[in-house]
Parts: sequence; structure tokens; C-alpha cells
Amino acid sequence: MLTIRQLDLSYPGYPPLATIDWSIVRGQHVALLGRSGVGKSTLLKALLETPKPPQIQCETTRIAYMAQSPVLLPWLSARDNVMLGARLRGERSSETAEIADALLDRVGLSGLAARAGGQLSGGQKSRVALARCLFEEAELVLLDEPFAGLDRSTRIDMAELCRELLVDQTVILVTHDPRDASDWLEAAWVLSAQQLSGPLDLQAFQDDRELIRALDGAL
Amino acid sequence: MIRVLRGLITTAILLTLWAGIVWIFDLPHYILPGPERVISVLWTRPELFVHHALITAAEISAGLALGGIFGLAVACLIADSPRLQRWTMPALVISQALPVFALAPILMLWLGYGFASKLAMTTLIVFFPVTAATLSGFRALPSSWSDTITALRGQRLRIFWQVRFPLALPFAGSGLRIAASVAPIGAVVGEWMGSAGGLGYLMLHANGRGQTDVLFAALVVLCGLALLIWGITNHLTRSLNRYQAFD
Repeated sequence: MLTIRQLDLSYPGYPPLATIDWSIVRGQHVALLGRSGVGKSTLLKALLETPKPPQIQCETTRIAYMAQSPVLLPWLSARDNVMLGARLRGERSSETAEIADALLDRVGLSGLAARAGGQLSGGQKSRVALARCLFEEAELVLLDEPFAGLDRSTRIDMAELCRELLVDQTVILVTHDPRDASDWLEAAWVLSAQQLSGPLDLQAFQDDRELIRALDGAL
Repeated sequence: MIRVLRGLITTAILLTLWAGIVWIFDLPHYILPGPERVISVLWTRPELFVHHALITAAEISAGLALGGIFGLAVACLIADSPRLQRWTMPALVISQALPVFALAPILMLWLGYGFASKLAMTTLIVFFPVTAATLSGFRALPSSWSDTITALRGQRLRIFWQVRFPLALPFAGSGLRIAASVAPIGAVVGEWMGSAGGLGYLMLHANGRGQTDVLFAALVVLCGLALLIWGITNHLTRSLNRYQAFD
């Protein structure tokens, strides 16, 4: 699905990225770990760009992205936020609205389709953002710490939803704590300032000290 | 209710201080008339002050509207082009750095002594805070937002009108609130330079005739008018905060 060869990148305002090689198979669900400032978001930005840097070979152009904070337009309804992509591409129709409503049902927000984005709780906003990712029918889904800022129980619910709904997609989950999604993810890669290492067994991170060792590049 | 009470108390304290100064220093009324004289002239000739206040109010409101629209339009035009910003910013800054007093005679020469020259001066004062605030709104988009929008592969124009423009509106609103507090300067300076009506004209006229009480009364009315216009602007622009999505 994704092959990266000898990529080294820097964008203004983003931390530089070490030279990395990486490949992910279609349908894999992987975690990308790393301390702040090692270039995780730089890498995601490169994956979202069109055209991409020549070192990145991606089998699909259909990539969905879910940011750390649920990016919802507060004046639009939950439904319109889900189909924001269609609105911005000029593809809005009654059919897209139906799809959006069905997706809201699937993320557990039945009956909230007409509520304004600004009036949803943090957990509900995250669910809308997830529904928007699904709406895009992407083959590759990039999740940038989508559970950050949520309380523990909501995080568990969200991880459960992702596991259920993102079965067919290839998923890269950027996270600080892979335990949130350990029963769903298959492997983890750790990005440090020098290198990208992996795949690592997620079981190794059940212990805090092991997680810290991994983040420090010692595993 | 508390706000009204606070306003009344502040006014009472100021009036007492004012009366006290006149009484202690035994000032002649043509230097500093006591509050009772000013209130009495306001009471006996309300039509005079209403007439001139309406002219000034029209100049300020029209200037705010025109400057607001103009400021917003300029910000939208240059928002996406750092190069255009580099070219236009010096001109915009100069338009603010030159005191409106210095430009007034030129504007009088071009636009005459009527409404147009006052409108131009007020617009000139108003548009820059609006442009600057709106531009900072366009720039304030967090990277998580721009990355999310990029991933949706939308059309440029649709992204602008459906996402970026509304998100910049609360910033434009705060620019307009700042502008509303300085807008009366443009109108009054314009009236001083040459006019046949307005509170600035009334002040100049009264000053020439030694009617210090009328001069002070016009000043009091101008203060009230400035507060009223600021209050209305404040109220109207608050509704833009529904487009507030991030701090």
C-alpha cells in the first residue's frame, strides 16, 4: 500500500524528519509512535500532499485524515460536517446526505444529524470526525492522535469504534499510547530523531518502562 | 441594571469633580463652564444638538460600513498571496501612519466640504484595523485544520467561501470593534477642516463665538454618540462569534 524509500523532509514550521524507509501492506493497522518533535506530523503532511515527494509510493490517492482535535465547523450540522468533503468538492446531493446520516448512525450518533457542530460534546465531535473519515471511503486512513484530549472511557469507546469500522482500510495511527488500541493494531513503528524502527510487537508496551525505552529508540 | 447603575455613579462622580474644580478655582464660565450651565444649554436647545449629532452619526456609521466592507474585501483579495501582501502592506501602513489631519486638506480639495470628504476620512481610519484583523484570522488556521481540509481535496474557491472566510469573520468583527472606537476621529476632524454641520462644526462655531457651554455640551454629546456607536457595533459583531472554531 505504502512504500517510502530514503525520505528526508522538512517543512517550514514542522520538525524535520530523519531519513526513513518504511513499507506497509494493504489492510494493515499499525501504530506510529514517537516523542513530540520527531517529525510524525511532518510525515503525515507529506502523505497528504498531492503530488507527494518522489520517495513516497502510495497505491491510492484516497487518503482520509483525522486530526488531533476534531476539526468541525461549529456552524454546520453534524451531517454537513460528515459530508464536508462532498460540499468542498461540489458533490453534495440528497444521496450524500443519506450516506452521512447512515454513518452517523454507525458511530452511535443517531438523531444528532441536525445538531450544530459547536453544540456537540468532545466525544461526539470525535465520532463525527470518524464518520467523516468513513464518508471519504478512503483506502488509507491516517489518524493523528485522534484520542488525545478525550477521557479514558471515551478513548476506549473510540478505539473500539475504529476497530469495528476501519476493518477494510489500511490504517496508520499516530499515538503516544498504543495500549489504547492494542487489541486492534497489528504492529508498531517507533520514530525517533535518528531513525524509524519496527515492526515491534505491541505486547512489549504493556509496561510503561518498555514504552519509554521504545520511544527512546532503545528497543 | 448593574451596568446602568455603574454608569450613573461614574457620571455623578465626574460631574461632582467637574463642579468642584469650577467652584474651588473660581473659574470664569468662558474658560470652564460648570456642569449646570452645560446641562442647561442641552436642555434648552435640544434640537440644535440632535441636528448636528445626526449628521456626525451618519458620517461615522457610513464610514464604518464602507470601511468594514472595504477592509474585508482587501483582506480577502490578498489573503492567499504573500507576495501581494508584501506589495500592499507598506501602502496600507502608510495610509494609517499619515495623520488624518494631514490628509484632510487634500480630501477637502478633492471631495468638497460635504458628506463625501468626512465619509472618506472615516473610511480611511476604519478599514486598516479591519484588514489587519481579518488577515490575522486567515493566518490563524491551525495546521490540524489545514491538513484536514487538504485531505478532503476540495475546490479552492469552495474551501475559501465555506471554510476559511467564515472562520476569519470573528477576527474581522474584533477589528471592526476596534475601528468603531476610533471612527469618530475621522468624522470630527473632517468637520473641523470645513463643513456646514456636525458636532465638530458646532464645536468650532461655538468656540469662535465664545460659547464655551455649547462647546462643552457638543463634546458631551459626542462622547455619548461614540459610546452608542461602539455599543451597537459591539452588539452586531458578536453574532459573528458563531463562526469561532478555535482560539
